[in-house]
Amino acid sequence: MGIYLDNAATSYPKPEAVYRAVDRFMREIGASSGRGAYRQALLADKVVFSAREALGKLFGIRDASRIVFTSNATESLNLAVKGLLKAGDHVVASSMEHNAVWRPLKRLEAERGIEITVAPCAKDGSLRPEDVIKAIRPNTRLVVMTHASNVTGTLLPVGEVGAAARDRGVLFLVDAAQTAGTCPIDAGTLGIDLLAFTGHKGLFGPTGTGGLYIREGVDLLPFKEGGTGGESILEHQPDHLPDRFEAGTLNISGIAGLLAGVDFILTEGIDRIRGKEKELTGHFLRALEIIPGIEVYGPKDPEKQVGVVSLNISGVMAQDVAYVLDEVYGVMVRSGLHCAPMAHRTIGTIDRGTVRFGIGYFNTIEEIDTMVQALAEIAGKTLTWK
Amino acid sequence: MFLEDITLTFIAPCIADPEKIRLIAEVSTDISGVMPYLNAVMKNATYNRKGPSFTFMKEFRLVNLYPGKITMAKALNTTDAWQVLNWIKDMINDVYEKRDSIVPNYELRSKPTALQIYGWLPRKNCKECGEVTCLSFAVKLLLGEKSLGGCRLLFTPEYAEQRKTMLEIVAALGYETVEGLDSKTGYRTQ
Repeated sequence: MGIYLDNAATSYPKPEAVYRAVDRFMREIGASSGRGAYRQALLADKVVFSAREALGKLFGIRDASRIVFTSNATESLNLAVKGLLKAGDHVVASSMEHNAVWRPLKRLEAERGIEITVAPCAKDGSLRPEDVIKAIRPNTRLVVMTHASNVTGTLLPVGEVGAAARDRGVLFLVDAAQTAGTCPIDAGTLGIDLLAFTGHKGLFGPTGTGGLYIREGVDLLPFKEGGTGGESILEHQPDHLPDRFEAGTLNISGIAGLLAGVDFILTEGIDRIRGKEKELTGHFLRALEIIPGIEVYGPKDPEKQVGVVSLNISGVMAQDVAYVLDEVYGVMVRSGLHCAPMAHRTIGTIDRGTVRFGIGYFNTIEEIDTMVQALAEIAGKTLTWK
Repeated sequence: MFLEDITLTFIAPCIADPEKIRLIAEVSTDISGVMPYLNAVMKNATYNRKGPSFTFMKEFRLVNLYPGKITMAKALNTTDAWQVLNWIKDMINDVYEKRDSIVPNYELRSKPTALQIYGWLPRKNCKECGEVTCLSFAVKLLLGEKSLGGCRLLFTPEYAEQRKTMLEIVAALGYETVEGLDSKTGYRTQ
């Protein structure tokens, strides 16, 4: 078995309880939630509700009905952006955004005539809150920002921006794809109106799970209508959450796994998880400093980033590094633009991309050392080529 | 923990309001012993010692507690039902924890009827509250679907006495917030 370092894409392995929860749900419960009055259906319902409650606990959200399930952060971001913005609305986004934010915004710019201002980030991906604040106009409806870049791992100042947005009556949408489950998030304290998260990364759930928190008082238009189990007599989608945004049968087997993943995080403690991530990331960054021929992007400081590290080896294509790491050393990493071209323009790697290492809670110092050794060997060989 | 678990066992559309749901849930512990204590702390409940049963409104939802089960009507959806069941569980456990400092109350307290409430309203059928008659306003007030502030006439000097009585009744029913009104004076705050 190789060394898995693509946790920024999908966490692997999962806690044992996650596999067991999915298996148990599919074998022993297996029914749809909210659709039947028999005991098994009601058990399915409880799984879904418990997952909402656990997520509420993790994100400091008291009313769990404000958390709606989606299939991933991309769907959540699409729902938030498309459900909210109308013609003439102005949006501020950071220059480190993923395509899951950028592409929906560009579509609305073309189709609905929204206006977009990009708040520029520094070359290490960091953002000054004042650059967001000065971009806010009278018609600004939304500030959207990633909590941490999926390219450089850079943590963005969500608390400061959230407070500023709230003061100015502007809604604040946070893309927590890289931080949900790995960094403490308290939606209320951080001034977050809409929180998009995926289940399959830091939350340790299966793929196809995710959600959106919608603060009370924020009204979005759903983009799908259909069966919700209850209130079938209504011709229109019910107004009450979560049903308003959850037409169709949910991915309950996935949600059962997600519940186990979030329970694992609540038991371990988010601070401990973040602590281990910082330890591994710091160890990796320090080791990289002594390898000649490697350029590391981002803040290079575990306090200022999550467990995502992007780099390039001088003279070698990113995809070649990733290929050799996998073929020769059994190290699984990702190369390319990581679905965030704007972030690569910011850090100056739009033409070549980066090799990205996604460190997870189950990685070890030994694995990081093995990988560093591999990188040193690859970089060393390229130096002798010259 | 006194009450460990609540399990939903039945769910169906409400007969009176098919847009809402009714349900039955089983409790893992016999909760009849905690009812007199609940009766002491909840002002808007009806405790029937002989049943025993304990009935109250949680906003617009009708909740009945029995020794081994809970029934609820007019919940919005299953998420709403689960939230209220969890709230009930926490409340029961909290009251149980504090039972030594609570004087149990065994009396049967009954709610005023809609007709009694109607008697204290201006009875002008002015329709300003959005209801056709003061009687229908009284019914909705009892159900928690209307707030007292909806009756504009009641908050004019002419109805000072009735207002005082109605504010007391509303407080006793547990509908403590009268939107946009000062709870002590009964006058609009804005």
